[in-house]
Amino acid sequence: MKAWILENISKPWRKNKKVLASILHPLVHLGSSLPLLVGLWDFWQGGLGANPILEITHRSGKTALTLLILSLSISPLRQLLKWNQVNKLRRPLGLYAAFYAGIHLSIYIGLDYGFQWRALLANSLTNTFILIGSAAGTILLVLAITSLNYFLRKMGPRWKRLHRFVYAAGILAALHFILAVKPGVLRPWPYASIMALLLAYRLPPVQNWVKNSL
Amino acid sequence: MTKKLSSEITPQTTYLNRKQFLKALGIVSTSAAVLAACKDKPFISGGDLPSGTSPEVHTSGAGVGTDELSDTLTNFEDVIGYNNFYEFTTDKEGVAKLAKDFQTSPWEMQIGGLVENPGPISMEEIRTRYPTEERIYRMRCVEGWSMVIPWHGFPLAALLEDIKPMPSAKYVRFESIYDPQALPGQSNRYFPWPYVEGLRMDEAYHDLTILATGIYGEDLLPQNGAPIRLVVPWKYGFKSIKSIVKIDLVEEMPVSLWMESAPNEYGFYANVNPTVDHPRWSQATERRIGEFSRRPTLMFNGYEDEVGSLYEGMDLREYF
Repeated sequence: MKAWILENISKPWRKNKKVLASILHPLVHLGSSLPLLVGLWDFWQGGLGANPILEITHRSGKTALTLLILSLSISPLRQLLKWNQVNKLRRPLGLYAAFYAGIHLSIYIGLDYGFQWRALLANSLTNTFILIGSAAGTILLVLAITSLNYFLRKMGPRWKRLHRFVYAAGILAALHFILAVKPGVLRPWPYASIMALLLAYRLPPVQNWVKNSL
Repeated sequence: MTKKLSSEITPQTTYLNRKQFLKALGIVSTSAAVLAACKDKPFISGGDLPSGTSPEVHTSGAGVGTDELSDTLTNFEDVIGYNNFYEFTTDKEGVAKLAKDFQTSPWEMQIGGLVENPGPISMEEIRTRYPTEERIYRMRCVEGWSMVIPWHGFPLAALLEDIKPMPSAKYVRFESIYDPQALPGQSNRYFPWPYVEGLRMDEAYHDLTILATGIYGEDLLPQNGAPIRLVVPWKYGFKSIKSIVKIDLVEEMPVSLWMESAPNEYGFYANVNPTVDHPRWSQATERRIGEFSRRPTLMFNGYEDEVGSLYEGMDLREYF
């Protein structure tokens, strides 16, 4: 059995993981562009349903959260599969997540509320989930800007510390989704559970256990 | 059959009085006979108006009518395709498909509690005993969207008069169908099924409160609460309970499904009120389905003149 695994899984994996990473790289760009293209197509075709603004708000939000989850799963994949090459997918995934979060926020401000700043402000002050979502969006925006190599060089060790805020963005984004729906609506929970798993993976006791077992 | 004018079958004076009253409320009325005349035809979205409709009456048959505030009727497709009916699914655009084969015939409602005439009443009896009229109402969902819908129904008061509530009755309690086999959403155990709603006696007797059996001149479709549902236009949509199987007159304030699920978010009254926010979102504005910009939400959904007095002296923040 062990020999079979070595022959049929371990060896081919070691040989091909670099290739697989380079195949995945363009797929990340393609896959991340798809929700936008499909959205534009549906808009053109009138396929956004009875409440189109709400529909694109939901779609862009879910896409941002999905991409954030994917970007946070890169490190565990690299560590568990000893797959260093996969690391180069992390930055594009994070940037696309920030891009869709930006679209999500712009739709809310520009289309949903038509830039009525007073109503928007009132909404943010009374509604926790708006406040929480805005915080998540702001973090992602800052991280997207500072992901440029210029900042990476300039900030040194502070860069890593700043980019740990992505974990906070993950928690806030999931919470934002949970608080946005009526109680008993289960849609946020698959996202929230995966997010919780990925963040729990980063906890020091879990990390120690993983490092000892590998 | 030949179509009759409403005035031919209703005594002229009664008709005019009622007409004036309803017109003052911005309510449109057509007679049961006129509806019966076009009942057998499939829904036609263009120009097939009952000939008995008088010119000053707003009509819905063409899908271009308005309510008393000149708000345009919501598209028929949106009214039957965008529904909150958690007994099927929490996905608003998935309800219609899941509800397609839902059996609404035979159907009866159990009347009970503090009434002198309890017992079952079948849909056939309801249809023969209570002539329906058209009521164009705004419907404001607690989630922040709204529609303008031409219902066909009759005042709940008419049924109450027949079943004779006892003096001790203070509230009407409504219950929806419970059948997890037919209603997949009822397997979501978070909610204490069946759906329950309630009205205070004066709310129940108010002329705006109707039991609806039709929409856009047709029988109700399952996704809209067939075969019979409540419509209380000054309250958030969730008060207008669908597919009713039980009506009880009770002494204690009924606990609705939403009150039980999230007592801090949903109260018994649930009156549309732009100044009292939902704990998690603002209720100041709403998006009318089919419109681009948000519009301000009106006090009591625009029916303040008719129902405001019911709540005089009440702190609407406390009794949300």
